[in-house]
Amino acid sequence: MRGDLRSRRVAVVPDAVLNPPAGGADHLTPLAEAGWGLVVLPPAGLPAGTEQAMVAAIADQVVTFLDDDYEVALGWPGDERTGRLIETLSAIGRRVERRIDLLD
Amino acid sequence: MRTVCYLAHCLLNANAKVDEGARCAGVSAPVVGLLREHGATIRQMPCPELAFGGTRRFWAVREQYDTPAFRAHCRTLAAPVAEQIRADLAAGARVVIIGIDGSPSMGVELTASAGDWGGRPDKPRDEDYPVTPGPGLFTETLLGLLGDDVAGARVVGIGQDLFDYDEPAELAKLAAAVEHTGAR
Repeated sequence: MRGDLRSRRVAVVPDAVLNPPAGGADHLTPLAEAGWGLVVLPPAGLPAGTEQAMVAAIADQVVTFLDDDYEVALGWPGDERTGRLIETLSAIGRRVERRIDLLD
Repeated sequence: MRTVCYLAHCLLNANAKVDEGARCAGVSAPVVGLLREHGATIRQMPCPELAFGGTRRFWAVREQYDTPAFRAHCRTLAAPVAEQIRADLAAGARVVIIGIDGSPSMGVELTASAGDWGGRPDKPRDEDYPVTPGPGLFTETLLGLLGDDVAGARVVGIGQDLFDYDEPAELAKLAAAVEHTGAR
């Protein structure tokens, strides 16, 4: 048996954390070293329907983690998809309170 | 040429795994590090089991998930991923889909499967998790949605859900998949 290695800490982050622009700060490494699991929002430029479906799926995952008392945080400042996730969660009466600083 | 890797959700978030299924706290750093070394763009696919069975689900085999409702759930999650993959292929990118061998949903070459699993969850995770050749349900759904377009992508499974997981060997397999273009 390996035991339960899950950190129970989940950070919802913009695509730029996973795919930083050239010369951009590496936020992934410190988050990973701190044990955060990542839920990565879709990149910019997708058709609206595709993006909406992906954000809706992420909202379902976030609610699942919140309901099971996992620590959930939003990478902040986020991007437009972060805003859409907040709106999607708000529409079902849910909210992620914690923010993780992603300032360069 | 740009390489875009579509990762199984849990490779970036082990919190989506079942109890005792995680091999790290959160991010599978060796996998992400390898992809970054190769300059790949990384995309995270959704975990079909997480939103369906929650974080307290037991480990299960493919047959336990193989219901019309779970297949519909997989189609809902896979459809936007397939659209994104098609767009990447149309833009000339190399696409690599990276699943989890041994997973009932994300398996690529090996999936958890047994006709006699069910009822009381008394099967030890590390002794007799049965696998058979073939994809998991989400992978099967995604590849089905891609249709002929899948020929332009490479599909590889990392054996993190296998009892005899050999990380160096699996990373070498992943590196080979990322370095080479072409079909499955």
